[in-house]
Amino acid sequence: MAGAPDSTVDFEPLVQFLLAGDHHAALAEAERLLAAGILRERIVTEGLEAAMGRLDDKCTVESFNLLEIMLVGRAVAAVVHALYPEGMAPAQGRATFVIATLEGDVHDLGKNIVRNVLAGKGFRVVDLGRDCPVDTLAAAAEREGASAVLVSGLISPVVAEVRRVKEALKARGLGQVPVVAGGAALKQLAPAALNVDYVAENAFDGARYLERLATTEVRP
Amino acid sequence: MNSLERILAAVRFQPTDRTPFLPQLFGHAAVTAGIPLGDYLRDGSRLAAAQLLERRTYGTDGVFAFLDLGVETEALGSRLEYFGNRYPEVAEYALAPADDPGILTIPDPRRAGRMPEVLRALGELRRGVGDTALVIGAVAGPMTLAAQLYGIEAALYLAMDDPGRHAAALDLAMEVAIRYGRAQLAAGAHLVMVFDPAASPAVVPADFFRSRLQPRLARLLAALHEAGATATWLNIAGPTADILPHYADMGADIATFDYYVAPAEARRLLPHTCLVGNLKSLDCLDPAPAVIAAQARELTAAFATGGGFILSSGCEIPPEADAANLAALAEAARKG
Repeated sequence: MAGAPDSTVDFEPLVQFLLAGDHHAALAEAERLLAAGILRERIVTEGLEAAMGRLDDKCTVESFNLLEIMLVGRAVAAVVHALYPEGMAPAQGRATFVIATLEGDVHDLGKNIVRNVLAGKGFRVVDLGRDCPVDTLAAAAEREGASAVLVSGLISPVVAEVRRVKEALKARGLGQVPVVAGGAALKQLAPAALNVDYVAENAFDGARYLERLATTEVRP
Repeated sequence: MNSLERILAAVRFQPTDRTPFLPQLFGHAAVTAGIPLGDYLRDGSRLAAAQLLERRTYGTDGVFAFLDLGVETEALGSRLEYFGNRYPEVAEYALAPADDPGILTIPDPRRAGRMPEVLRALGELRRGVGDTALVIGAVAGPMTLAAQLYGIEAALYLAMDDPGRHAAALDLAMEVAIRYGRAQLAAGAHLVMVFDPAASPAVVPADFFRSRLQPRLARLLAALHEAGATATWLNIAGPTADILPHYADMGADIATFDYYVAPAEARRLLPHTCLVGNLKSLDCLDPAPAVIAAQARELTAAFATGGGFILSSGCEIPPEADAANLAALAEAARKG
């Protein structure tokens, strides 16, 4: 039954399946919880967000690696899809972010990981894919009412594209929308050098910055 | 002391007349030569001429016959998309996620894809510098080539969902690297750099590296030694502190370390292995020659006693790097 008392629901198995990266078991457990009438918002908050919080604590700069995060991310994505098979509506997410790998870079592994980490934290993420033109990104930010724009880059040629994002947003009256950059190439540069508001060391560092934005509504 | 003697002295921890200088300048040589990167990457003769010009321009102690990480996977059947002034990307991988790597055959470096262009470049580079400077070939390491055969996302999922099939892909990749590396040595390379960015702890945990990659990298490095390599060089970028201590056990004579690892820490972790690094490669993008020179001086000073060090970047200095930065780096190296 929807809204069952907290004491009757044990989210720990879901959390453990997520942290183990066992997407089959995580999906089965989420479906069991749904069938038991547990609100999907609670599954997000007490299952997905709890798992991502523990993973965040574990992932220091030294121990962060793509493989482990990918496995958890795949499990998160499977559960989110089960909870919102039609996709998350703007009102259902804590905030909406638009994410892309920009034109000139087809390496989207890092972007996909960030997308799944943020979904696990209850955010709505609009993924524009890879090799995305800056103008397409800015248009999507306007259309989706994005609270922030996220760009990921593995290789150096994409730096010039990243530097254009802020101006493209300003041209649409979105100069106040923060731009966050990350990825192996971009994180070697300072925010000022990229003309962005924040450069994330990894997915969780970026997520923490976005959490602060969503919580405080602070704009740079 | 010529450049080759200088490098070999550093590898042996013997005194050098100045700090050896081997910045990872690959496609940047095309820019210096004024030719499109896409042409440089498909013509061994143009690559060789551009690398020789790069060496004359910046006074480096070696030349690289490295194209890009698409060479091996293309030779195995992947389809690449080429661009005018960017590195190519894999448009279609040789293996679908459900494929067994056993369907592929180890390519003949004399005929497959662009491998013959690399061999041509090595021959021309060796004729150009003889034994006065280091002629460096390169192969993709097993983890990187496996990722280039399936796509990295599919390869990483495969590693966890079907470890046996991933192990078969790693074994195939190792055999490709051994055959291709031997051909490069026969064509004129003094050594063959093993370039394995996908083996970085940024990508896979250190215990994954130790159990699955270390044995294969050790076999690859041993095979290159047996084939006559002057030395072995393992080049993995990123936060490698957890795996650096194993490089000596694997038989690496030269080890790249990136900006994540401080010089003193790298030396502590690898006391008897020649270290190459660790300038932040993207610092070279925007003009800041004074900053670059200061970083080079500081790095050189960190290894002033003890030797066993080659001044370089921790990763490739990108083709669009500013020429004034590289000139400043070269000047600092000349004085170092």
